[in-house]
Amino acid sequence: MTNILIFIIVISVIATLVQIVRVSELLSEIKNKDVNEVTDKDNNTQGLLFLIVGFGFLIFVVWQMITWDHLLLPPASSVHGTQIDLLMKVSMGLIIVVFFITSPMLFYFAFKYRGKKSNNAYFLSHNNKLEVVWTVIPTIILTVLIIFGLKTWDNAMNVEVTESTKLIEVYAKQYNWTARYSGLDNKLGKANYKLVKGKNTLGVDMLDINSADDKMAREVHLVVNEPVLLKFRSQDVIHSAFLPHFRVQMNCVPGITTQFGFTPNKTTAQMKESEGEDFEYVLLCNKICGASHFNMQMKFIVETQEEYDIWIASQDNLEKKLLTQK
Amino acid sequence: MSEHHKENFITKYIFSMDHKMIAKQFLLTGMFMAVVGMLMSAIFRVQLANPGETSILYNLLPSTWLNDAGGLNPDKYLALVTMHGTILVFWVLTAGLSGTFANFLIPLQIGARDMASGFLNMLSYWFFFIATVVLLSSLFVESGPASGGWTIYPPLSALPQAIPGSGTGMTLWLISITLFVVGSLLGGLNYIVTILNLRTIGMTMQRLPLTVWALLITAILGVLSFPVLLSCGLLLVFDRSFGTSFYLSDIIINGEVLHNEGGSPILFEHLFWFLGHPEVYIILLPALGIVSEVISVNSRKPIFGYKAMVGALLLIAFLSFIVWGHHMFMTGMNPFLGSVFTFTTLLIAIPSAVKVFNYLATLWRGNIRFTPAMLFAIGTVSAFITGGLTGIILGDSALDINVHDTYFVVGHFHIVMGLSAIYGMFAGVYHWFPKMYGRMMNKNLGYIHFWGTFICAYGVFFPMHFLGLAGLPRRYYSNSAFPMFDGLSDINSLITFFALAGAIVQAIFLFNFFYSIFKGTKASQNPWKSNTLEWTTPVERIHGNWPGELPVVKRWAYDYSKPGAEEDFILQTEPLKDGEIEH
Amino acid sequence: MDIALRNMVKKQLLWISLAAISMFFASMLSAFIVEKADVGNWKEFILPNYFVFSTGVIILSSLVLFFIKPQLKKDKSIFSLVFTVLILGIIFSYLQIKGWQQLTNQGIYLTGVGSNISGSFLYILTLTHLLHLVGGLVGLCISAIKSKQNLYSINNYLGLELTAIYWHFLTVLWVILFAFLKFY
Ligand code: HEM
Ligand SMILES: [Cu+2]
Ligand SMILES: [Cu+2]
Repeated sequence: MTNILIFIIVISVIATLVQIVRVSELLSEIKNKDVNEVTDKDNNTQGLLFLIVGFGFLIFVVWQMITWDHLLLPPASSVHGTQIDLLMKVSMGLIIVVFFITSPMLFYFAFKYRGKKSNNAYFLSHNNKLEVVWTVIPTIILTVLIIFGLKTWDNAMNVEVTESTKLIEVYAKQYNWTARYSGLDNKLGKANYKLVKGKNTLGVDMLDINSADDKMAREVHLVVNEPVLLKFRSQDVIHSAFLPHFRVQMNCVPGITTQFGFTPNKTTAQMKESEGEDFEYVLLCNKICGASHFNMQMKFIVETQEEYDIWIASQDNLEKKLLTQK
Repeated sequence: MSEHHKENFITKYIFSMDHKMIAKQFLLTGMFMAVVGMLMSAIFRVQLANPGETSILYNLLPSTWLNDAGGLNPDKYLALVTMHGTILVFWVLTAGLSGTFANFLIPLQIGARDMASGFLNMLSYWFFFIATVVLLSSLFVESGPASGGWTIYPPLSALPQAIPGSGTGMTLWLISITLFVVGSLLGGLNYIVTILNLRTIGMTMQRLPLTVWALLITAILGVLSFPVLLSCGLLLVFDRSFGTSFYLSDIIINGEVLHNEGGSPILFEHLFWFLGHPEVYIILLPALGIVSEVISVNSRKPIFGYKAMVGALLLIAFLSFIVWGHHMFMTGMNPFLGSVFTFTTLLIAIPSAVKVFNYLATLWRGNIRFTPAMLFAIGTVSAFITGGLTGIILGDSALDINVHDTYFVVGHFHIVMGLSAIYGMFAGVYHWFPKMYGRMMNKNLGYIHFWGTFICAYGVFFPMHFLGLAGLPRRYYSNSAFPMFDGLSDINSLITFFALAGAIVQAIFLFNFFYSIFKGTKASQNPWKSNTLEWTTPVERIHGNWPGELPVVKRWAYDYSKPGAEEDFILQTEPLKDGEIEH
Repeated sequence: MDIALRNMVKKQLLWISLAAISMFFASMLSAFIVEKADVGNWKEFILPNYFVFSTGVIILSSLVLFFIKPQLKKDKSIFSLVFTVLILGIIFSYLQIKGWQQLTNQGIYLTGVGSNISGSFLYILTLTHLLHLVGGLVGLCISAIKSKQNLYSINNYLGLELTAIYWHFLTVLWVILFAFLKFY
């Protein structure tokens, strides 16, 4: 029924359009004018529209920046993230400035130089000096950005791994995450996908002495201001571990171990204070991986050393979990 | 070759070897696919605004794609996104754009009777056509069409066990793309050879219109990058169907332990993006070529800095082969390699900036005539500015950490590639419609179409940057699984509103287009008072383009408002006056 | 179009296609390099002797092609030359297939449980080369028939020339592939 209705509506809309266009064409034929000739009046209207709609668009952009500002991610909760935020501010500021110079210029030129039959354009085919100027200026600006960017990148990716860096494995599969703590020895036992069986969902090699004290969990607890190195593996397809609040992202690729090291510097409790009671750090999947891609998540909790010690003590280690509790 | 032979209905309209007819075939097929792709986006936008709820639009879908409550299934959401991307990137903006305008404009603007090989040209279209049929047929297989994203990363796309779409649907996708690539390569070969050899007397490379330059460089990019997609796909086919392990290693899928060891999905990404990045310029450059022509004609001014424009095109084309890694910053690549790609990527912004400034300088002190084509050309420049700037954020590997694969990227590429190119395509259609069909498109409907599109398009894609900065990943069926995204539902509804409105506005264009083919007012020979050679041909389409001798070119294409001339344009065939210097 | 221009156009079409084919193989080889550097369980292989022989055969066939033009100039029949190249091409294909047999005997497989990426690459590279070569063989067949009918002359042998260019390309491509597989 609805389909028929829609069909009728569509047909009548088309018929109306045909009529409107026909009528306008006939009218101008009577007046002995070509409907499709662009007149000075058209140029005035369209030029003005560029001014109005163009600047309307710019205002819309400003409006968005103001109204939706509170929806954006809060400042980074990690040490390297703070630097990324700074770089982001600088780059954003720069492109916003350029945007608000060039776009108005475009719209304004369209308006200002709208044509008139009696006018003539100014013949100008090139000007080497100008062209050099607007090649050199972007080059200089970009050079600065590149240098700043590469420094930040270097800083984020080449983390120093020391004795005190906590090792945690994050294991991805369709459609959930599992974490494995390295235990007292701070060493992750070997793992192999062929060993995945029953409770041993990560394929940990229990013959490796480093495995016995490892701990498995469905959430990740981190100690504030303690560096941590996340190691990523995937069981099936590519996933991507995305921790937007920490400015951390890394793909999880089957057959390859990837990693990302960072130092969280705000506890969940602190964030709840500033962002509201509901706040949680969360790990999302950010590489299309199937039907439940949109719901592949794990909670991250940043806490003080004491809280962490209590929590970790409450977790069984793998030796107990896999070998003794049958 | 093809000058003398009788035409009947079949050779004239179906298996035509005439470049103008083939161009129209590409255009109509491209438009059809654009409608299909747009409807898909309307459907998934509705899902994003009202997750899980049913909608009248879903009547367009097979009922197996819906759940009992009438909502869209998550895996079919991904199928829609994937097909939408594939169709728009390859079918509409590659074949629809290059196929139409390369075929139509190259012979006409360089003064040739036809393409170098009409036969290859015809083959090129028919490969494309069969590819289209295969792609569309994949919508109707039981397990659904390919659903792993248009970038089809393995292992997701390699393993039918991973998602239903990776079964028959993916096989058809690969067959279709292979046919598509073959068609594109045949076309590209032909364009290059035609431009290099069949230019008429006097049409030196320095006098080529920028459209032809852009199409030439596009064709070269295609010929060098599409074969890489073939090898990339071939290895994927072997992995999928014959049990090799190029892209696969250490996988358990659906409880099944696979034997594959040693392969690397990252290898696929390298090969894919080695094509993929040049591909985005294959899409963009023809649009920029069209825009250069349209802006110059309608500003009644020479394009500013012709040489710099060509230089920028060449530089962009060259750089586009060494930046592909910027799509892979987060794959765990060596950080040093990431640095190199950041460097090369940001370099591209320089020639891009030069192009923008040259467009602005062309408008400056012009005598602008706002034809619908001109409106769209200015729209392209606007989109190119807006989207190019966000590229500077994405190209910075350190910043990409937090925006990679979020809606920020979606906003970026839809504006810089989607909008720039589709506006360029519209500009081309409005501008050359009189040459294609001998009639004019209705001006006022064109105005409405432009402003509707311009407003809705920014309404759709600009807010996406904010979604991305709020951390929202792309390709999510619904944002309701994460409380942190609850605040974003207003933005999503707004985007969907504009998306639907924008889709409706396109109906005006479709109407105008088909109405004008049959009923539009008759066009004169040179309605825009343009300099280029295509406007010296008769209004009626004839095989061989010019009735008598080929025109002889005496000057460049951009002598608009030249001091001392009687009119504000001088045809390229007009000899230089005594003492007149060429620009 | 006049004939000279048409010939030029056809030749250019071929050259540009060769550029495209080269990109295909270049990407394949870079994939090979990357995987070899990255993969832990990369299994080294020894190239079968047959491939050495086939390399000799295809180089020989290319050399034979060089005698055609002088022969045409002297207005002599070139059928035997073209036919020789065709036969050498078939022998080359036969040797490639023997080479694969030798590989499977060594336990190097294209696919399946016992396969390794190194082997898979080896097969795919040689297989795709052979597929391209089949096109060359078809061209040679046609040229052979035409030369049997004496349709070529020094002023008119474009088809043959195109086939020859393509064939030389296949030779060079094979030599590169061979050197690469053998020494890299
Ligand atoms: C100033 C120049 C530009 C720069 C620096 C730039 C940079 C980037 C970067 C770094 C990405 C990857 C983002 C990510 O996945 O995290 C990207 C994505 C993309 N860019 Fe650009 N871009 C520029 C211009 C363009 C142009 C001109 C086009 C097309 C005509 C384009 C089309 C795309 C597309 C299609 C994607 C997304 C591919 C996907 O993941 O599906 N970009 N761009
Ligand atoms: Cu996932
Ligand atoms: Cu790119």
